[in-house]
Amino acid sequence: MAKDRGNKMIVQGLRISVALGLLFAPCVASAQQLDNSQIMSTLAQMKSAAPAVDVALLVEEANANVGKGVAALPNWSKLSELSQLIVEIDFENNSTAIEPESYRTVGLIADALHHPDLFRYKFLIVGHSSATGSAKHNLELSQKRADAINEALSTTFAVSPDRLFSIGAGEEWPIDPGHPESADNRRVQLINLGLLK
Amino acid sequence: MIERVGIFAGAALAAFLSITTLGRADTVSYADAVTTLAKGCGSDIKRFCNGQNLGNGRIKACLEKNASKVSPTCTSTLGSVMTSIAQRQEAQASVFKVCQHDISQYCNGVKGDGNILSCLVETKRVDNRECNQAITDAGWR
Repeated sequence: MAKDRGNKMIVQGLRISVALGLLFAPCVASAQQLDNSQIMSTLAQMKSAAPAVDVALLVEEANANVGKGVAALPNWSKLSELSQLIVEIDFENNSTAIEPESYRTVGLIADALHHPDLFRYKFLIVGHSSATGSAKHNLELSQKRADAINEALSTTFAVSPDRLFSIGAGEEWPIDPGHPESADNRRVQLINLGLLK
Repeated sequence: MIERVGIFAGAALAAFLSITTLGRADTVSYADAVTTLAKGCGSDIKRFCNGQNLGNGRIKACLEKNASKVSPTCTSTLGSVMTSIAQRQEAQASVFKVCQHDISQYCNGVKGDGNILSCLVETKRVDNRECNQAITDAGWR
């Protein structure tokens, strides 16, 4: 079933950025065509010294610092040390509805999370926006969008909900800080939070 | 007469096996399944299901609610995509049960699902056809 036809879409729909994944995935290049095994090899690398992250504290910090950025905050800064990748998932304008063109990307994540190599791990979905619109609205919308990806993975694709967490970063952590309104800043981070307890 | 029955049984078995094989060939990844959905139903989703999401069966419910308006291609695509997602889920859920014997025989003491799977895939002696097929159907090769 349409096994080869999705290749073009994957180039548009799934970009991986060097900036944040670099530490754990030195071989990953930008704008690269990704497949399931590449997603897995990136996410399965887990350092034993990886810091524990409390998602409730991330929410607290983000809400208390709207418009001031999150990258340097004590809990958010821990995220940079974790194994992760960045994907592009497009949504309808000002909505939490994932564009059909991005279904494949969500499916690729589902395939990876269902592989036995990743069974034991829990994951954080972080939604990011560009700086168009108000910072507070962007924070709220990106949280809802991250939740929508979480919901799709845990219902349609039956990933166990206790392995999934989602949070919005709004415009607070641009990948291109020199151009906060750039569309490149709209992205989704998928972060390995470590072993399920 | 006995020979003829034998031939008939053989043919029936061959037909059964080919059907089973065909059914199995339909197991595709979640990514491929929803790519097919986006291709077959993308324009209908945008037209009739604006703001609706993939999660919790909402896209499926919306397309079914608008069944009289959505394209016939989309209607048939939706059915086959939902079936293939369910097949993949069943296949993935069954591997460790179907392969239980091979696991205890060849991978005894191996800890962790990922390591057990690697052991099964690497153990050439796993001669259980069903176990091999289950791993393939789960998309874990």
